[in-house]
Amino acid sequence: MPPSIHPVDLVTALRHKHLTPAIVFLTSRRACDEAMETFDHADLVLPPVRQEAIAVALERITVQHPSIAEHPLIPIVRRIGVAAHHAGHLPSWKIAIEELMRQGHLDAVFATTTLAAGVDFPARTVVITQSSIRKSRDFTDLTIGEVQQIAGRAGRRGKDLVGFAIVTPSPYIDLTVLTKGLTGQPEAVDSQFTISYPMVLNLLKAHPHEQIQGILAKSFAQFQLNQRAELLEQKLDALHVQMEPFGPRVCTDWITQWQTFDHARRHRHTRHQTHRSESPEISARLPFLTPGRVVGLSRGRGIVLRQYRSKGQKNSMLTILRPDSAVTECPVTSVKEVFDRTYDCAEIPTYPWCSTETFDRLSHQLEELPPRLPVLPILVSTSSEPLPDAIVQSLGDFPCPTCPSRPACQKDFMTASRLRQEQQRHTKSIQALRTSLWHRFQERVEVLQKFGYLTLATQLTIEGEWARLIRIDHSLLITELIRAEAFTGADPSLLAGIFASLAHDDDRPGAFPRISAGLSSLLGQVRRLAESLSPYEDPPLLRADVAALVERWVADPTLTWIGLCRLTTMAEGDIYRLLARTLEFLSQAQALRSTHPGLAESASHAITLIRRGVLEELP
Amino acid sequence: MGCDSVLSTQSSALQSMTTDELEKLLAQQPVALLHRLARGRVHRHFRAGKRRLIELLLQHSASNRAGFESDLQTLIEGQGSRTEPGPSRTHPPPTIAHKKTSPRGAEPESAETTISLSAWLEGLGVPSPQPFVPDPWQSEALSALNETDVVISVPTGSGKTYVAVEAARRAMEDNRSVIYTSPLKALSNTKYTEFSRIFGPDKVGILTGDRQENGQAPLLIMTTEILRNLLYDAASGEIDVRLDTLGLVILDESQYIADPERGVVWEETIIFCPSQARLLLLSASIGNPQDIADWLTSIRSTVCRLVRHSKRTVPLRAGYLHPNGKLTPLFRTLGIPYGHPNQLHPEAKRLFLEYEEETLPSGRPRR
Repeated sequence: MPPSIHPVDLVTALRHKHLTPAIVFLTSRRACDEAMETFDHADLVLPPVRQEAIAVALERITVQHPSIAEHPLIPIVRRIGVAAHHAGHLPSWKIAIEELMRQGHLDAVFATTTLAAGVDFPARTVVITQSSIRKSRDFTDLTIGEVQQIAGRAGRRGKDLVGFAIVTPSPYIDLTVLTKGLTGQPEAVDSQFTISYPMVLNLLKAHPHEQIQGILAKSFAQFQLNQRAELLEQKLDALHVQMEPFGPRVCTDWITQWQTFDHARRHRHTRHQTHRSESPEISARLPFLTPGRVVGLSRGRGIVLRQYRSKGQKNSMLTILRPDSAVTECPVTSVKEVFDRTYDCAEIPTYPWCSTETFDRLSHQLEELPPRLPVLPILVSTSSEPLPDAIVQSLGDFPCPTCPSRPACQKDFMTASRLRQEQQRHTKSIQALRTSLWHRFQERVEVLQKFGYLTLATQLTIEGEWARLIRIDHSLLITELIRAEAFTGADPSLLAGIFASLAHDDDRPGAFPRISAGLSSLLGQVRRLAESLSPYEDPPLLRADVAALVERWVADPTLTWIGLCRLTTMAEGDIYRLLARTLEFLSQAQALRSTHPGLAESASHAITLIRRGVLEELP
Repeated sequence: MGCDSVLSTQSSALQSMTTDELEKLLAQQPVALLHRLARGRVHRHFRAGKRRLIELLLQHSASNRAGFESDLQTLIEGQGSRTEPGPSRTHPPPTIAHKKTSPRGAEPESAETTISLSAWLEGLGVPSPQPFVPDPWQSEALSALNETDVVISVPTGSGKTYVAVEAARRAMEDNRSVIYTSPLKALSNTKYTEFSRIFGPDKVGILTGDRQENGQAPLLIMTTEILRNLLYDAASGEIDVRLDTLGLVILDESQYIADPERGVVWEETIIFCPSQARLLLLSASIGNPQDIADWLTSIRSTVCRLVRHSKRTVPLRAGYLHPNGKLTPLFRTLGIPYGHPNQLHPEAKRLFLEYEEETLPSGRPRR
């Protein structure tokens, strides 16, 4: 079985069940294009009447948007009534497809989910083939809102009695994401409020510093923060109520008191454990059971070679040299007598734990021992404990052991301390929530002061006055570039190139071989500056290929759109978007007419040069 | 019992099996059994599809064939004893033994509650043309807009545009100007064409970053960023912008307020929107429209009205199309069973399980 339904079969099936027109959402642009290729030799041609209608409609649109006249997909659109619609196409092509769809000429449109929001045309049926979507660099599952946005395209008001959302599987599809998406309640939206440099400058231009906090408090972000803080405060109140029965005890702060006491108690406990295994008699002997000592065992005598602790053994262990040069291991408890006799013993760290000569000598001496030996008198101390350390000693200072409310404290402590911790956490996060926006604002203010856009009294400096007009991404980098006079004397094409590399935030690979020396060195300067600013602002991609592409478009007015597209592997729609975004950025530079006339003039020149051909078709 | 004899022949055959036979036998087993067999044998066996799983199991069996075969035998016998209690069921031949477990979806109780394909496809067609009558929510939104700001959260395709158009018309009749914003330039262009057709080209203008067309028109279309910039310029008092005559600001696709990069622009726009202008927020269905309305109430002078509903104008049905061309309803019910994602149509469930079993590669690669 094929991993997913063949596009031709899909359209056939939809037509057969009268489910056309349909929008088929596919994973990628490439999938859309490949789907279109499969129709090359398909024999699902439309009846001639409808083919004619499509041709007429297309011609009418072509008058308005000449750029679609030569579009390679036109034959398939006309013959079969299916089309592709994704961000790789020119806007004019998308407009044409939307118009054809609205007039009911097409049977199916293959579109990408990425632009589900931008697809502004309904159909009778929507076909969903995947459950995840490419967002920046990663695939993420569709949210409930997104699934409903996609499914919502099904069913045209006034043209359909029912809309259909049809799931057809492709590899990696997760059906539960889709069923949940179709049946679920859309997610709550959350504020994504960020404070940008131009926002700070513009706010401070219009309002005195002390009013800003009030303005920030009006944001949806703060509204939601407050909601969360209120929730936490409710929890806190509930906690207070819960803590009440633990209220007055003998100590005012019994929780802390008990905590310290409990800690000390536990601490003592663990220390005690290590000594528990040995009786006082045995532990009193230990210091004497050193290498070379003669001891009496249950059978015969021996000489201690080493004393050690072993993990599996409760007691300290001894390695003992027995008669006939036998070496045995035994616990200290098996030692019956400790004699008042030692021999010199040269220890080594490996078996048999003493040097060979010593071993031979000791074996010999063991044979030679007299039958009776004096026993070593060992004093067993009555206080079995080793010296208790400071913490354990201080236990006596606690009132707890003798306190009347000790059992109650012991019982309630776990709950109470958890509640207390929660309370402290909530108090902290409420504080953080209530002030976080203001802190973020202050951080930005400090950076702007450091770079000289704001005075210490948070007034706009001369630099700040014009810098606030740059209201786009990477504004700090752009204003710093302007201040570093990077663009002084730059001709329009160079300027457009740099702005293109600043504006383009797509990492889809493209290729362009040649870049002029001037642009390349300027771009290097921009990169260095962007890097030095990276603690304050995320650096843009600064791709050289897109810069070169735009430079060529501006520098060479004879270059046609087709010629431009041939220079790169980028999709037409991406080139269009790149130029449109460059225009947007350039228009910001154009706004600096009064302070930077040279730059503004160059920018407006670049704008006029960019606006030609396809770019002039749309407002 | 027939089943027993089959199993015993299988298990006796197990003792002396060639790898080919073993492979065949494994292929006959349901995938669940293979996973149980693979537990402790194959690392990350749950990531593997059936074919790959068999491959891995065979690889493993080379090291301890006897133990592997005896485990397989116990599992097969266990399987047999589990299906045994259903004595009324006739046992299918062993070659398709795995089918026994897979059509679990064919529960008897589902039969009467499940929609059939023909019933599901019924009612498809074009409604007879009817005079346009605004839905109650549309009228409600319009009348509320006379007094206060309005947030609309309705499913895609419910007719938000009608409210926008009608509200703009009323404001313009009162000689107040209207600003309509959309998140995308492409959408702005579409709306520009659409509104020009409705109101006449001289009444509608469009503002983009680098160009103005008919900038003095009473109805201006722009992206939200442009409006935000206008509001900033007005706040610092340098551009005239006819904000005092501004009567209505329509923010389309307001759910963009949750966009990680651009959402802040919607907030700025709403915060700085002049107080005499009414705000109309159009949004697709979102989970917390009440929060947005409450927020507007808290920062604006009037109490914001929320208009929401979740019923679609054109009812929606969900289907499942198998790659072999077979179409079935996706859910048991005719419409979408809101709040019950598990009410899958047994046929769709079965087909999808089949699909997954056949296509799931070993260890789903990270996409």
